[in-house]
Amino acid sequence: MKSIDIVEAPPGHTGSGFFATSFDEVIGIARSNSLWPLPFATSCCGIEFMATMGSHYDIARFGSERPSFSPRQADLLMVMGTIAKKMAPILKQVYIQMAEPRWVLAMGACASSGGIFDSYPVLQGIDRIIPVDVYVPGCPPRPEQVLEGLMQVQELARNESLRRRNSEQYQELMSSYNIQ
Amino acid sequence: MLTNQEVAEELLREFEEDVYGFEEPYGMLTLTTTRGQIIPMLEFLFKHKKFQANFLTDLTGVHYPDTPGLEYAVVYHLHSLVHNFRLRIKVFLAEGDERIPTATTVYESANWMERETYDFFGIQFEGHPNLIRILNIEEMDYFPMRRQYPLEDTTREDKTDALFGR
Amino acid sequence: METNYLPSGFLPIIVQFVLALGFIVATMIVTHNIGPSRKGKVKDDPFECGIEVVGDARTPISVKYFLVAILFVLFDVEVIFMYPWAVNFKQLGLFGFVEMTLFMTLLLCGFYYIIRKGVLKWEE
Repeated sequence: MKSIDIVEAPPGHTGSGFFATSFDEVIGIARSNSLWPLPFATSCCGIEFMATMGSHYDIARFGSERPSFSPRQADLLMVMGTIAKKMAPILKQVYIQMAEPRWVLAMGACASSGGIFDSYPVLQGIDRIIPVDVYVPGCPPRPEQVLEGLMQVQELARNESLRRRNSEQYQELMSSYNIQ
Repeated sequence: MLTNQEVAEELLREFEEDVYGFEEPYGMLTLTTTRGQIIPMLEFLFKHKKFQANFLTDLTGVHYPDTPGLEYAVVYHLHSLVHNFRLRIKVFLAEGDERIPTATTVYESANWMERETYDFFGIQFEGHPNLIRILNIEEMDYFPMRRQYPLEDTTREDKTDALFGR
Repeated sequence: METNYLPSGFLPIIVQFVLALGFIVATMIVTHNIGPSRKGKVKDDPFECGIEVVGDARTPISVKYFLVAILFVLFDVEVIFMYPWAVNFKQLGLFGFVEMTLFMTLLLCGFYYIIRKGVLKWEE
């Protein structure tokens, strides 16, 4: 009988019938283990993502049970595929309409840097228009690599400060991309 | 069963000296005509009782910078669904005079295909209802498929010529 | 059973209702004021798959839905009035019968008016 791993409890004070930690820890655990992705799948990497969502490389066991196509209810914007320059404003709009806290995962070579399409219509990497948290290189990356990328986003989500969106660093980052 | 010979003879009979350059690359009849006769020819082939070329498979352009006076070619691929017969018509245009009447009066599908040809080659289709860019961004001010423009994205700073042996 | 219920016995229900309402209001006020959030013009636009929003989502609805609903309410109330009359039919006797017939005649005049006006024609 295989043993099942569940999330470890963070450091805190235990008593009879209660457990006390800080908000940061609890909210960090909650957020990192329930990252709802927005699959912005354009090309072949979208197919790899479909494989990752399947039962063999299950992404739902990492908490990404509900992919949403509306940015309002998504935590993680996964950009998978070649983004043309004509698609760029649309991607930016979708990113802006996501509610904080939000993370971006650039999957594949095309989303990270334009990939093999070093060409006039292709946007050479989505980090030209939106801030990216994790890059998953590959053409296409294997599902295991995508899961590794997702685990790194989980790490970021667990350690994110609760008031990050009001911090100066975040405001500067947003204004450097011309996002209000 | 339509043969290339039959269609070629019919076209010669109808248009006499305005069709020329008959070829058969890989068995597909290819001919060249002039800008003034292209729409009458499309209509003739569309409405012909026997041929009924009722499907415009493709409408595209080519840029030949090395032949002065015949730089731009607009190529029409016609298909007769009734007879399973394919035909290719080329029209050559000179540099600086890239105008040609639109085929949307004969085939509705020419609408987007002409927009694409305009977007990439800059060929003006006279009489087109909405000739604007279709695949590239609206702010683009050049026609990318013309041979003088590079294929690569020009905004990259991290590529050096040494990497590519230049 | 003949237990007398004092009005003051219902006080706990009111208290529970007020507490529930108060909890909701207080939580909403506190979270909206303390919780971190960022607003922006583009961010608050309606989501339209990343493109610019055109127009609003208001469409005019046919008035026939409203008319049918109102007529249903009227005649349903009429039927409700008929229930106690039907239960006490024997006791109310002839006088009650005549009264009810008068009531229904008045309403049937309205029904005739509706039919002649063409309100019940669903397909125009």
